[in-house]
Amino acid sequence: MTLTPDQIIMFELWGMPLNATIFYTWIVMALLTIASLLITRKLRPDVPPNRWRTTLEVIVQGIQSQIEEISRRPSRRLLYFVGTLFLFVAMSNLLLVVPGFEPPTSSLSTTTALAISVLIAVPMFGVNSRGLGGYLKTYLEPSVIMLPFNIISEFSRGISLAIRLYGNIMSGAVIAVILLGVAPFFFPVVLDVLGLLTGMIQAYIFAILATVYISTATTPSPSTQTQKDS
Amino acid sequence: MSIDWITVAAQIANFLVLVWLLKRFLYRPILDGIDARETEIANRMQDAVLAQEKAAQAEADYRDQLSRQQSKEADLSEAVRKAAEDERDAILAEARAQLERERALWLTQLSDEAREYTRKLHRVGADALLSLTRKALGDLADDTLEARMAAQLIQKIDPMAAELKNAAAAASSAVIYSQAPLPPGVKGSLTSGLDAVFPGIAPDFKTDPEQAPGLVLRIGGAQLAWTLDSYIDGLEALVADKLGAGAVPGDPDHAQ
Repeated sequence: MTLTPDQIIMFELWGMPLNATIFYTWIVMALLTIASLLITRKLRPDVPPNRWRTTLEVIVQGIQSQIEEISRRPSRRLLYFVGTLFLFVAMSNLLLVVPGFEPPTSSLSTTTALAISVLIAVPMFGVNSRGLGGYLKTYLEPSVIMLPFNIISEFSRGISLAIRLYGNIMSGAVIAVILLGVAPFFFPVVLDVLGLLTGMIQAYIFAILATVYISTATTPSPSTQTQKDS
Repeated sequence: MSIDWITVAAQIANFLVLVWLLKRFLYRPILDGIDARETEIANRMQDAVLAQEKAAQAEADYRDQLSRQQSKEADLSEAVRKAAEDERDAILAEARAQLERERALWLTQLSDEAREYTRKLHRVGADALLSLTRKALGDLADDTLEARMAAQLIQKIDPMAAELKNAAAAASSAVIYSQAPLPPGVKGSLTSGLDAVFPGIAPDFKTDPEQAPGLVLRIGGAQLAWTLDSYIDGLEALVADKLGAGAVPGDPDHAQ
Protein backbone atom coordinates (compact mmCIF):
# COMPACT_ATOMS: atom_id res chain seq x y z
CA MET A 1 0.00 0.00 0.00
CA THR A 2 1.40 3.34 -1.01
CA LEU A 3 0.62 6.25 1.27
CA THR A 4 1.52 8.94 -1.21
CA PRO A 5 0.83 9.27 -4.93
CA ASP A 6 4.38 10.58 -5.38
CA GLN A 7 5.51 7.02 -5.56
CA ILE A 8 3.10 6.07 -8.34
CA ILE A 9 4.71 6.60 -11.71
CA MET A 10 2.08 7.12 -14.34
CA PHE A 11 4.32 7.41 -17.44
CA GLU A 12 7.54 8.98 -18.66
CA LEU A 13 7.58 12.35 -20.39
CA TRP A 14 10.71 13.14 -22.38
CA GLY A 15 12.55 10.53 -20.41
CA MET A 16 11.40 11.86 -17.06
CA PRO A 17 9.07 9.81 -14.85
CA LEU A 18 5.78 11.54 -14.18
CA ASN A 19 4.21 10.64 -10.85
CA ALA A 20 0.49 10.54 -10.04
CA THR A 21 0.65 13.74 -7.96
CA ILE A 22 1.71 15.85 -10.91
CA PHE A 23 -0.50 13.97 -13.36
CA TYR A 24 -3.65 14.39 -11.30
CA THR A 25 -2.68 17.97 -10.53
CA TRP A 26 -2.68 18.62 -14.26
CA ILE A 27 -6.06 16.99 -14.54
CA VAL A 28 -7.44 19.25 -11.82
CA MET A 29 -5.83 22.27 -13.49
CA ALA A 30 -7.26 21.25 -16.86
CA LEU A 31 -10.73 20.76 -15.43
CA LEU A 32 -10.71 24.13 -13.68
CA THR A 33 -9.29 25.95 -16.70
CA ILE A 34 -11.54 24.33 -19.28
CA ALA A 35 -14.63 24.83 -17.14
CA SER A 36 -13.74 28.50 -16.63
CA LEU A 37 -12.96 28.93 -20.32
CA LEU A 38 -16.21 27.35 -21.44
CA ILE A 39 -18.34 29.32 -19.03
CA THR A 40 -16.71 32.70 -19.54
CA ARG A 41 -15.91 32.56 -23.27
CA LYS A 42 -19.18 34.17 -24.35
CA LEU A 43 -19.36 36.53 -21.45
CA ARG A 44 -20.78 39.89 -22.54
CA PRO A 45 -22.39 42.60 -20.40
CA ASP A 46 -25.50 42.72 -22.58
CA VAL A 47 -26.11 38.95 -22.33
CA PRO A 48 -27.94 37.85 -19.18
CA PRO A 49 -25.88 35.34 -17.15
CA ASN A 50 -26.79 31.65 -17.42
CA ARG A 51 -26.81 29.36 -14.40
CA TRP A 52 -23.18 28.19 -14.88
CA ARG A 53 -21.96 31.73 -15.05
CA THR A 54 -24.13 32.59 -12.07
CA THR A 55 -22.65 29.65 -10.16
CA LEU A 56 -19.13 30.84 -10.92
CA GLU A 57 -20.09 34.38 -9.93
CA VAL A 58 -21.51 33.12 -6.65
CA ILE A 59 -18.30 31.15 -5.95
CA VAL A 60 -16.00 34.03 -6.86
CA GLN A 61 -18.05 36.60 -4.99
CA GLY A 62 -18.28 34.26 -1.99
CA ILE A 63 -14.50 33.93 -1.89
CA GLN A 64 -14.15 37.69 -2.35
CA SER A 65 -16.57 38.48 0.46
CA GLN A 66 -14.78 36.06 2.79
CA ILE A 67 -11.45 37.71 2.00
CA GLU A 68 -12.94 41.16 2.56
CA GLU A 69 -14.42 40.10 5.88
CA ILE A 70 -11.03 38.91 7.07
CA SER A 71 -8.69 41.46 5.55
CA ARG A 72 -11.16 44.41 5.69
CA ARG A 73 -9.96 45.57 2.31
CA PRO A 74 -10.79 44.44 -1.23
CA SER A 75 -7.80 43.05 -3.12
CA ARG A 76 -7.90 41.31 -6.47
CA ARG A 77 -4.38 39.92 -6.11
CA LEU A 78 -5.30 38.27 -2.84
CA LEU A 79 -8.42 36.89 -4.54
CA TYR A 80 -6.35 35.40 -7.36
CA PHE A 81 -4.03 33.69 -4.89
CA VAL A 82 -6.41 32.54 -2.17
CA GLY A 83 -9.22 31.76 -4.62
CA THR A 84 -6.92 29.53 -6.63
CA LEU A 85 -5.77 27.82 -3.44
CA PHE A 86 -9.36 27.14 -2.43
CA LEU A 87 -10.51 25.98 -5.86
CA PHE A 88 -7.52 23.74 -6.37
CA VAL A 89 -7.79 22.08 -2.96
CA ALA A 90 -11.59 21.83 -3.16
CA MET A 91 -11.55 20.34 -6.66
CA SER A 92 -8.82 17.87 -5.70
CA ASN A 93 -10.77 16.77 -2.65
CA LEU A 94 -14.06 16.58 -4.57
CA LEU A 95 -12.50 14.28 -7.16
CA LEU A 96 -11.74 11.87 -4.32
CA VAL A 97 -15.08 10.24 -5.14
CA VAL A 98 -13.93 9.39 -8.66
CA PRO A 99 -12.69 5.77 -8.63
CA GLY A 100 -8.97 5.54 -9.28
CA PHE A 101 -8.38 9.25 -8.78
CA GLU A 102 -5.56 10.05 -6.40
CA PRO A 103 -6.11 13.52 -4.97
CA PRO A 104 -2.93 15.58 -5.23
CA THR A 105 -3.65 17.01 -1.81
CA SER A 106 -3.08 13.58 -0.31
CA SER A 107 0.59 14.07 -1.24
CA LEU A 108 2.77 15.80 1.33
CA SER A 109 4.73 17.26 -1.56
CA THR A 110 1.65 19.05 -2.84
CA THR A 111 0.60 20.38 0.54
CA THR A 112 4.19 21.39 1.20
CA ALA A 113 4.28 23.17 -2.15
CA LEU A 114 1.08 24.98 -1.28
CA ALA A 115 2.40 25.87 2.17
CA ILE A 116 5.63 27.14 0.67
CA SER A 117 3.57 29.17 -1.77
CA VAL A 118 1.75 30.73 1.18
CA LEU A 119 5.04 31.26 3.01
CA ILE A 120 6.43 33.09 -0.02
CA ALA A 121 3.19 34.97 -0.63
CA VAL A 122 2.98 36.35 2.91
CA PRO A 123 6.19 38.44 2.71
CA MET A 124 5.44 39.40 -0.90
CA PHE A 125 2.02 40.78 -0.02
CA GLY A 126 3.47 42.33 3.14
CA VAL A 127 6.31 44.06 1.29
CA ASN A 128 3.89 45.15 -1.42
CA SER A 129 1.54 46.61 1.17
CA ARG A 130 3.89 48.11 3.77
CA GLY A 131 7.23 48.34 1.99
CA LEU A 132 10.33 46.26 2.74
CA GLY A 133 11.27 48.18 5.88
CA GLY A 134 7.76 48.20 7.22
CA TYR A 135 7.41 44.47 6.70
CA LEU A 136 10.75 43.53 8.25
CA LYS A 137 9.95 45.74 11.21
CA THR A 138 7.02 43.43 12.03
CA TYR A 139 9.56 40.75 13.00
CA LEU A 140 10.87 43.09 15.68
CA GLU A 141 7.49 43.67 17.26
CA PRO A 142 6.69 44.04 19.99
CA SER A 143 10.46 44.01 20.76
CA VAL A 144 13.74 42.86 19.24
CA ILE A 145 13.78 39.88 21.58
CA MET A 146 10.80 38.47 19.70
CA LEU A 147 12.69 38.27 16.36
CA PRO A 148 13.62 34.53 16.57
CA PHE A 149 10.18 33.66 17.83
CA ASN A 150 8.53 35.56 15.02
CA ILE A 151 10.71 33.73 12.47
CA ILE A 152 9.89 30.35 14.04
CA SER A 153 6.22 31.33 14.11
CA GLU A 154 6.36 32.17 10.44
CA PHE A 155 7.78 28.79 9.46
CA SER A 156 5.60 26.86 11.86
CA ARG A 157 2.58 28.35 10.15
CA GLY A 158 3.66 26.87 6.85
CA ILE A 159 4.47 23.51 8.38
CA SER A 160 1.12 23.37 10.19
CA LEU A 161 -0.69 24.29 6.99
CA ALA A 162 1.02 21.56 5.04
CA ILE A 163 0.71 18.85 7.67
CA ARG A 164 -2.93 19.67 8.47
CA LEU A 165 -4.10 19.40 4.89
CA TYR A 166 -1.97 16.42 4.07
CA GLY A 167 -2.97 14.55 7.23
CA ASN A 168 -6.66 15.07 6.72
CA ILE A 169 -6.77 14.10 3.08
CA MET A 170 -4.27 11.33 3.27
CA SER A 171 -5.88 9.81 6.36
CA GLY A 172 -9.29 9.88 4.71
CA ALA A 173 -7.91 8.11 1.65
CA VAL A 174 -6.02 5.55 3.74
CA ILE A 175 -8.99 4.79 5.93
CA ALA A 176 -11.18 4.42 2.84
CA VAL A 177 -8.71 1.96 1.36
CA ILE A 178 -8.50 -0.02 4.62
CA LEU A 179 -12.28 -0.15 5.02
CA LEU A 180 -12.65 -1.12 1.39
CA GLY A 181 -10.76 -4.24 2.25
CA VAL A 182 -12.69 -4.96 5.43
CA ALA A 183 -16.23 -4.02 4.48
CA PRO A 184 -16.37 -3.28 0.77
CA PHE A 185 -20.12 -2.54 0.41
CA PHE A 186 -21.26 0.07 2.88
CA PHE A 187 -18.52 1.85 4.82
CA PRO A 188 -16.50 3.10 1.83
CA VAL A 189 -19.56 5.02 0.62
CA VAL A 190 -20.14 6.63 3.98
CA LEU A 191 -16.48 7.46 4.29
CA ASP A 192 -16.40 8.94 0.80
CA VAL A 193 -19.29 11.21 1.74
CA LEU A 194 -17.52 12.18 4.91
CA GLY A 195 -14.35 12.63 2.89
CA LEU A 196 -16.14 15.10 0.62
CA LEU A 197 -17.27 17.08 3.65
CA THR A 198 -13.83 16.94 5.23
CA GLY A 199 -12.20 17.89 1.94
CA MET A 200 -14.39 20.97 1.52
CA ILE A 201 -13.82 21.99 5.13
CA GLN A 202 -10.07 21.54 4.71
CA ALA A 203 -10.09 23.60 1.53
CA TYR A 204 -11.99 26.32 3.35
CA ILE A 205 -9.67 26.18 6.37
CA PHE A 206 -6.55 26.22 4.20
CA ALA A 207 -7.77 29.23 2.23
CA ILE A 208 -8.96 31.06 5.35
CA LEU A 209 -5.69 30.49 7.18
CA ALA A 210 -3.73 31.66 4.16
CA THR A 211 -5.89 34.78 4.03
CA VAL A 212 -5.38 35.39 7.73
CA TYR A 213 -1.63 35.05 7.42
CA ILE A 214 -1.42 37.35 4.43
CA SER A 215 -3.82 39.84 6.00
CA THR A 216 -1.73 39.89 9.17
CA ALA A 217 1.28 40.75 7.07
CA THR A 218 -0.52 43.43 5.08
CA THR A 219 -2.56 45.04 7.87
CA PRO A 220 -0.73 47.86 9.65
CA SER A 221 0.01 47.13 13.32
CA PRO A 222 -1.94 49.19 15.92
CA SER A 223 1.13 51.24 16.80
CA THR A 224 1.82 52.03 13.13
CA GLN A 225 -1.83 52.87 12.62
CA THR A 226 -1.79 55.21 15.60
CA GLN A 227 1.31 56.96 14.29
CA LYS A 228 -0.31 57.37 10.85
CA ASP A 229 -3.49 58.69 12.40
CA SER A 230 -1.62 61.20 14.52
CA MET B 1 5.61 10.11 4.74
CA SER B 2 8.30 11.69 2.60
CA ILE B 3 8.66 14.83 0.60
CA ASP B 4 9.73 14.65 -3.01
CA TRP B 5 11.28 18.06 -3.51
CA ILE B 6 11.18 17.79 -7.28
CA THR B 7 7.46 17.22 -7.01
CA VAL B 8 7.24 20.12 -4.58
CA ALA B 9 8.96 22.40 -7.09
CA ALA B 10 6.75 21.11 -9.87
CA GLN B 11 3.65 21.62 -7.76
CA ILE B 12 4.71 25.18 -6.92
CA ALA B 13 5.14 25.80 -10.63
CA ASN B 14 1.82 24.11 -11.33
CA PHE B 15 0.15 26.21 -8.71
CA LEU B 16 1.58 29.44 -10.12
CA VAL B 17 0.47 28.41 -13.62
CA LEU B 18 -2.98 27.64 -12.25
CA VAL B 19 -3.10 31.06 -10.59
CA TRP B 20 -2.30 32.66 -13.92
CA LEU B 21 -4.78 30.48 -15.83
CA LEU B 22 -7.63 31.14 -13.43
CA LYS B 23 -6.79 34.82 -13.30
CA ARG B 24 -6.90 34.88 -17.10
CA PHE B 25 -9.95 32.71 -17.68
CA LEU B 26 -11.99 32.92 -14.47
CA TYR B 27 -11.45 35.83 -12.14
CA ARG B 28 -10.93 38.62 -14.63
CA PRO B 29 -13.86 37.76 -16.92
CA ILE B 30 -16.16 37.14 -13.98
CA LEU B 31 -15.13 40.22 -12.01
CA ASP B 32 -15.05 42.41 -15.12
CA GLY B 33 -18.49 41.11 -16.03
CA ILE B 34 -19.76 41.87 -12.55
CA ASP B 35 -18.18 45.33 -12.66
CA ALA B 36 -19.64 45.97 -16.12
CA ARG B 37 -23.05 44.84 -14.96
CA GLU B 38 -22.84 46.97 -11.84
CA THR B 39 -21.76 49.91 -13.97
CA GLU B 40 -24.65 49.23 -16.32
CA ILE B 41 -27.05 48.99 -13.37
CA ALA B 42 -25.62 52.24 -11.96
CA ASN B 43 -26.02 53.87 -15.37
CA ARG B 44 -29.58 52.58 -15.61
CA MET B 45 -30.28 53.82 -12.12
CA GLN B 46 -28.82 57.17 -13.12
CA ASP B 47 -30.95 57.11 -16.27
CA ALA B 48 -33.96 56.19 -14.15
CA VAL B 49 -33.23 59.08 -11.80
CA LEU B 50 -32.84 61.41 -14.78
CA ALA B 51 -36.03 60.04 -16.31
CA GLN B 52 -37.78 60.52 -13.00
CA GLU B 53 -36.53 64.08 -12.77
CA LYS B 54 -37.57 64.65 -16.36
CA ALA B 55 -40.98 63.18 -15.61
CA ALA B 56 -41.28 65.39 -12.54
CA GLN B 57 -40.29 68.39 -14.65
CA ALA B 58 -42.81 67.38 -17.31
CA GLU B 59 -45.46 67.00 -14.63
CA ALA B 60 -44.63 70.43 -13.24
CA ASP B 61 -44.76 71.89 -16.76
CA TYR B 62 -48.07 70.16 -17.37
CA ARG B 63 -49.51 71.46 -14.10
CA ASP B 64 -48.25 74.94 -14.92
CA GLN B 65 -49.73 74.70 -18.38
CA LEU B 66 -52.99 73.41 -16.93
CA SER B 67 -53.06 76.27 -14.45
CA ARG B 68 -52.44 78.77 -17.23
CA GLN B 69 -55.12 77.13 -19.34
CA GLN B 70 -57.58 77.26 -16.46
CA SER B 71 -56.72 80.91 -15.86
CA LYS B 72 -57.15 81.59 -19.57
CA GLU B 73 -60.48 79.77 -19.56
CA ALA B 74 -61.60 81.80 -16.56
CA ASP B 75 -60.61 85.01 -18.31
CA LEU B 76 -62.38 83.87 -21.46
CA SER B 77 -65.46 82.93 -19.47
CA GLU B 78 -65.42 86.33 -17.78
CA ALA B 79 -65.05 88.04 -21.15
CA VAL B 80 -67.90 85.97 -22.58
CA ARG B 81 -70.06 86.76 -19.56
CA LYS B 82 -69.29 90.47 -19.87
CA ALA B 83 -69.99 90.37 -23.61
CA ALA B 84 -73.27 88.58 -22.90
CA GLU B 85 -74.18 91.19 -20.30
CA ASP B 86 -73.32 93.98 -22.75
CA GLU B 87 -75.36 92.25 -25.43
CA ARG B 88 -78.25 91.83 -23.00
CA ASP B 89 -78.01 95.49 -22.00
CA ALA B 90 -77.91 96.50 -25.66
CA ILE B 91 -80.93 94.30 -26.47
CA LEU B 92 -82.79 95.69 -23.46
CA ALA B 93 -81.91 99.25 -24.44
CA GLU B 94 -83.01 98.54 -28.01
CA ALA B 95 -86.24 96.99 -26.70
CA ARG B 96 -86.84 100.00 -24.46
CA ALA B 97 -86.16 102.35 -27.36
CA GLN B 98 -88.48 100.29 -29.56
CA LEU B 99 -91.10 100.43 -26.81
CA GLU B 100 -90.67 104.16 -26.50
CA ARG B 101 -90.98 104.53 -30.26
CA GLU B 102 -94.07 102.36 -30.34
CA ARG B 103 -95.47 104.22 -27.38
CA ALA B 104 -94.81 107.55 -29.10
CA LEU B 105 -96.39 106.18 -32.29
CA TRP B 106 -99.30 104.87 -30.31
CA LEU B 107 -99.68 108.22 -28.58
CA THR B 108 -99.51 109.94 -31.96
CA GLN B 109 -102.12 107.59 -33.33
CA LEU B 110 -104.20 108.15 -30.21
CA SER B 111 -103.87 111.88 -30.62
CA ASP B 112 -104.82 111.59 -34.29
CA GLU B 113 -107.75 109.40 -33.40
CA ALA B 114 -108.75 111.93 -30.76
CA ARG B 115 -108.54 114.74 -33.25
CA GLU B 116 -110.49 112.68 -35.79
CA TYR B 117 -113.02 111.92 -33.13
CA THR B 118 -113.24 115.58 -32.25
CA ARG B 119 -113.62 116.50 -35.88
CA LYS B 120 -116.30 113.89 -36.38
CA LEU B 121 -117.99 114.97 -33.18
CA HIS B 122 -117.78 118.55 -34.38
CA ARG B 123 -119.35 117.69 -37.69
CA VAL B 124 -121.96 115.36 -36.27
CA GLY B 125 -122.74 117.90 -33.56
CA ALA B 126 -122.98 120.62 -36.13
CA ASP B 127 -125.26 118.51 -38.30
CA ALA B 128 -127.38 117.57 -35.32
CA LEU B 129 -127.52 121.12 -34.04
CA LEU B 130 -128.34 122.40 -37.49
CA SER B 131 -131.04 119.84 -38.04
CA LEU B 132 -132.55 120.35 -34.60
CA THR B 133 -132.43 124.12 -34.93
CA ARG B 134 -133.95 123.98 -38.37
CA LYS B 135 -136.71 121.69 -37.17
CA ALA B 136 -137.33 123.74 -34.04
CA LEU B 137 -137.50 126.95 -36.02
CA GLY B 138 -139.85 125.38 -38.51
CA ASP B 139 -142.09 123.90 -35.84
CA LEU B 140 -142.12 126.80 -33.42
CA ALA B 141 -141.72 129.97 -35.56
CA ASP B 142 -142.63 128.84 -39.03
CA ASP B 143 -139.27 130.17 -40.20
CA THR B 144 -136.11 128.74 -41.85
CA LEU B 145 -132.63 128.53 -40.41
CA GLU B 146 -131.10 130.28 -43.38
CA ALA B 147 -133.55 133.21 -42.94
CA ARG B 148 -132.62 133.45 -39.27
CA MET B 149 -128.93 133.28 -40.11
CA ALA B 150 -129.36 136.05 -42.69
CA ALA B 151 -131.25 138.12 -40.12
CA GLN B 152 -128.49 137.53 -37.54
CA LEU B 153 -125.77 138.53 -40.05
CA ILE B 154 -127.64 141.72 -41.03
CA GLN B 155 -128.24 142.44 -37.37
CA LYS B 156 -124.48 142.13 -36.70
CA ILE B 157 -123.61 144.41 -39.62
CA ASP B 158 -125.40 147.49 -38.15
CA PRO B 159 -123.30 147.96 -34.98
CA MET B 160 -120.11 147.33 -36.92
CA ALA B 161 -120.96 149.33 -40.03
CA ALA B 162 -118.31 152.01 -39.46
CA GLU B 163 -115.53 149.53 -38.90
CA LEU B 164 -116.61 147.48 -41.92
CA LYS B 165 -116.57 150.53 -44.12
CA ASN B 166 -113.08 151.43 -43.02
CA ALA B 167 -111.87 147.91 -43.61
CA ALA B 168 -113.64 147.54 -46.93
CA ALA B 169 -112.27 150.92 -48.18
CA ALA B 170 -113.13 151.22 -51.80
CA ALA B 171 -114.20 147.69 -52.41
CA SER B 172 -116.79 147.35 -55.15
CA SER B 173 -117.93 143.78 -54.50
CA ALA B 174 -118.82 141.56 -51.63
CA VAL B 175 -118.97 137.77 -51.33
CA ILE B 176 -121.21 135.80 -49.00
CA TYR B 177 -120.09 132.19 -48.33
CA SER B 178 -122.40 129.49 -47.16
CA GLN B 179 -122.09 125.75 -46.73
CA ALA B 180 -125.06 125.07 -48.94
CA PRO B 181 -126.80 127.13 -51.59
CA LEU B 182 -129.09 129.74 -50.05
CA PRO B 183 -132.80 130.01 -50.91
CA PRO B 184 -133.68 132.99 -53.16
CA GLY B 185 -135.65 134.69 -50.35
CA VAL B 186 -132.66 134.60 -48.08
CA LYS B 187 -130.44 135.94 -50.86
CA GLY B 188 -132.87 138.83 -51.39
CA SER B 189 -133.03 139.77 -47.73
CA LEU B 190 -129.22 139.65 -47.52
CA THR B 191 -128.86 141.78 -50.66
CA SER B 192 -131.30 144.35 -49.32
CA GLY B 193 -129.73 144.31 -45.86
CA LEU B 194 -126.27 144.84 -47.30
CA ASP B 195 -127.42 147.54 -49.66
CA ALA B 196 -128.59 149.56 -46.71
CA VAL B 197 -125.03 149.77 -45.37
CA PHE B 198 -123.04 149.57 -48.60
CA PRO B 199 -125.17 151.01 -51.26
CA GLY B 200 -124.43 149.96 -54.82
CA ILE B 201 -122.57 146.79 -53.88
CA ALA B 202 -124.39 143.66 -54.93
CA PRO B 203 -123.18 140.53 -53.00
CA ASP B 204 -122.02 137.50 -54.80
CA PHE B 205 -123.19 134.17 -53.19
CA LYS B 206 -120.77 131.25 -53.09
CA THR B 207 -120.82 127.87 -51.39
CA ASP B 208 -117.94 126.24 -49.46
CA PRO B 209 -118.55 122.64 -48.21
CA GLU B 210 -115.65 122.92 -45.84
CA GLN B 211 -117.02 125.96 -44.14
CA ALA B 212 -118.86 125.71 -40.86
CA PRO B 213 -122.64 126.01 -41.03
CA GLY B 214 -123.48 129.72 -41.17
CA LEU B 215 -122.74 132.77 -43.30
CA VAL B 216 -119.50 134.62 -43.91
CA LEU B 217 -119.38 138.08 -45.47
CA ARG B 218 -116.19 139.26 -47.13
CA ILE B 219 -115.96 142.71 -48.47
CA GLY B 220 -112.56 144.14 -49.34
CA GLY B 221 -110.28 143.35 -46.45
CA ALA B 222 -113.17 143.07 -43.99
CA GLN B 223 -114.94 139.88 -42.94
CA LEU B 224 -118.01 139.35 -40.80
CA ALA B 225 -119.39 135.91 -39.96
CA TRP B 226 -122.10 134.13 -38.08
CA THR B 227 -121.58 130.40 -37.80
CA LEU B 228 -122.51 127.54 -35.53
CA ASP B 229 -118.88 127.06 -34.42
CA SER B 230 -119.34 128.67 -31.00
CA TYR B 231 -122.46 126.58 -30.40
CA ILE B 232 -120.71 123.38 -31.52
CA ASP B 233 -117.75 124.21 -29.27
CA GLY B 234 -120.14 124.61 -26.40
CA LEU B 235 -121.76 121.29 -27.27
CA GLU B 236 -118.36 119.59 -27.35
CA ALA B 237 -117.45 121.07 -24.00
CA LEU B 238 -120.73 119.86 -22.60
CA VAL B 239 -120.25 116.33 -23.99
CA ALA B 240 -116.65 116.19 -22.80
CA ASP B 241 -117.77 117.39 -19.39
CA LYS B 242 -120.42 114.70 -19.20
CA LEU B 243 -118.05 111.97 -20.47
CA GLY B 244 -115.39 113.03 -17.98
CA ALA B 245 -117.88 112.92 -15.12
CA GLY B 246 -118.96 109.39 -16.12
CA ALA B 247 -115.42 107.99 -16.41
CA VAL B 248 -114.20 105.47 -13.83
CA PRO B 249 -111.08 106.73 -11.96
CA GLY B 250 -108.02 104.58 -12.74
CA ASP B 251 -109.54 103.06 -15.88
CA PRO B 252 -106.86 103.41 -18.54
CA ASP B 253 -109.34 103.52 -21.36
CA HIS B 254 -111.13 106.44 -19.77
CA ALA B 255 -107.95 108.08 -18.59
CA GLN B 256 -106.69 108.18 -22.12
